[in-house]
Amino acid sequence: MKNVLTIIKKEFVRFFTDRRMVLMIFLPGILIYAIYSLMGNFMSEMGQPDIDKDYVPTAYIIGLPEGLSVEGVFKIKSYENSEAAKTDIYDSKLDIMVVFPADFKENYAGETKPEVKVYYNSASAQSAFGYSVAIALLNELNAFKINSDVSEKFDLVNSESLAADILSMIIPMLMFSLLASSCMAVAPESIAGEKERGTMATLLITPVKRAEIVLGKIISLSCFAMLSGFSSFIGVILSLPKLSGGVFNLSSMSYGVGDYFMLFGLIISIVLAMISVFSVLSTLAKNVKEASMFITPLMIVIIVLGMCTTFIKSSSVAIHLIPFLGSGLAMSGILSAAASPVGVALAIISNLVFTAALTVLMAFMFKNENIMLKK
Amino acid sequence: MEEILKVDNLTKSFKQSKKLFKPEKNGGVKVAVNNLSFSAYKGEIFGLLGPNGAGKTTTLRMLATLIKPDSGNATINGKSIVSDKEAVRRSIGFLTSELKLDETFTPEYLFNFFADLYGVETNVRNARKTQLFSKFGINEFAGQKLGNLSTGMKQKVSLVVSIAHDPEFIIFDEPTNGLDVLTGKVVTDFLQELRAEGKTIILSTHIFSLVEKLCDRVGILIDGKLAAIDSLKNLTQEKNLEDTFFGLYESVTGEKV
Repeated sequence: MKNVLTIIKKEFVRFFTDRRMVLMIFLPGILIYAIYSLMGNFMSEMGQPDIDKDYVPTAYIIGLPEGLSVEGVFKIKSYENSEAAKTDIYDSKLDIMVVFPADFKENYAGETKPEVKVYYNSASAQSAFGYSVAIALLNELNAFKINSDVSEKFDLVNSESLAADILSMIIPMLMFSLLASSCMAVAPESIAGEKERGTMATLLITPVKRAEIVLGKIISLSCFAMLSGFSSFIGVILSLPKLSGGVFNLSSMSYGVGDYFMLFGLIISIVLAMISVFSVLSTLAKNVKEASMFITPLMIVIIVLGMCTTFIKSSSVAIHLIPFLGSGLAMSGILSAAASPVGVALAIISNLVFTAALTVLMAFMFKNENIMLKK
Repeated sequence: MEEILKVDNLTKSFKQSKKLFKPEKNGGVKVAVNNLSFSAYKGEIFGLLGPNGAGKTTTLRMLATLIKPDSGNATINGKSIVSDKEAVRRSIGFLTSELKLDETFTPEYLFNFFADLYGVETNVRNARKTQLFSKFGINEFAGQKLGNLSTGMKQKVSLVVSIAHDPEFIIFDEPTNGLDVLTGKVVTDFLQELRAEGKTIILSTHIFSLVEKLCDRVGILIDGKLAAIDSLKNLTQEKNLEDTFFGLYESVTGEKV
């Protein structure tokens, strides 16, 4: 263990005495914050204009009771059926659809309050305005229930525009990209770079066990990648409110302590898994250039797996055992407040087992002269 | 005399690259070291002399446990280079131009780092560092990064780092390469001091004068085989070392030099 610490210490000294490397930790976070904030400002300027105070929402009303007038309140549109109206709401071509029940007249002011359904799209400012107008009008009557059927979806918003979904979609993809880039920046330099410079052979003639060298490398590289990843993560989190054009802000991210613990454990295990796999490829390579060539395609695969979490909706927790994909799903689950602790635990265990297996493989590779001394 | 190194039928082959592959000649395999056997004794400097490609570096790399022999074995202080690698590594020092030091570190840091890996106690390490740094004049640049130093300075640092753990058996591959005459003399004097301390040294070189000045016994390696092994005195009885070497080379390879 003493040798592992000596190697970790050496890697830290090497890393932190190199200004380029130190810059590499903090620069991505700063750049991400600056670029995303600029993008956010730009997008919000290009975004939807504020609603005119004289705006009259468009509405399709089914079964409007006699005696109730909406003239001047809504512009009435006609449709052949309610499905066509719903499609237009989804596409922001119609603001709201109000459905009065057929028995409205009989039950109005009676004990059994009739139910009125109001369909809208919260992503559209006009539709949201129309919904609030409709609710205000109906509330004044105080004679019936509104949208009381919890099994039915009335907000026809495109789900991808919801804040939680933005987080659960963007963050895994960004985190995977950032962590993979950070691992890519440190692993080839520390392993293939040492081989290229001839300093690895110097280390190999010492009595230190190959497994200790590998362990020292993986632990220290994971720390550097983690630092860089967290710097990038903070940059992302700080820039998200601007990037999302004010859809949500930091205070809206109400996660519990458990969520943060799960996220932290998951990120650490992902970094370990990434560093291990990149280190194996760096060990196979003759030099930094070749290592980068080996790692780049894999990095793309990992980032794509991070993106896939948006589209994969599996009910089986076993899917979390697939390296990287399972981690992406677990992260997405935590961020959308729908995490299964079992799934997160499986993803972490899977990453740790994957890391351990690759560490053992690397220790064997370090014993192979054809791999370690090839030029 | 106490036998420190015993090399017993060491053989090592390499697959040749496609460029050098001549199936009709060698089946694509180059035998770098062929059934090599010799011994080295306590307190002697054994010279390994040979042209480029003779198998000197391959032999030294096998002795340093950097590569495995295909067959045969060697023992250093009774420890096998095949079955007891860590014990062998602990007891040897290896200096070769092939092994580099990280140029982002200072000589001071590198000395401490390698001494720690060899498990040298801190007080012993510091005393040895003071002694070696002073002998080689490293104190003046001990705090500078290796990348900012001259070739000679770097070579001095490599030398002291390779013996930071005070090994009993030392392998030097071309130790005076790239050194100016003054530094070269410091190194050759130091090798003689090490011999006087009872250390066993294997010295690989192609510089005849260095062998004549330092070595007690010499092995002449040609095409992976030992063409001659004897004391320097016996080898140079009739002719000087250079003529002896070229005579052997012509008789082994059939090539006129």
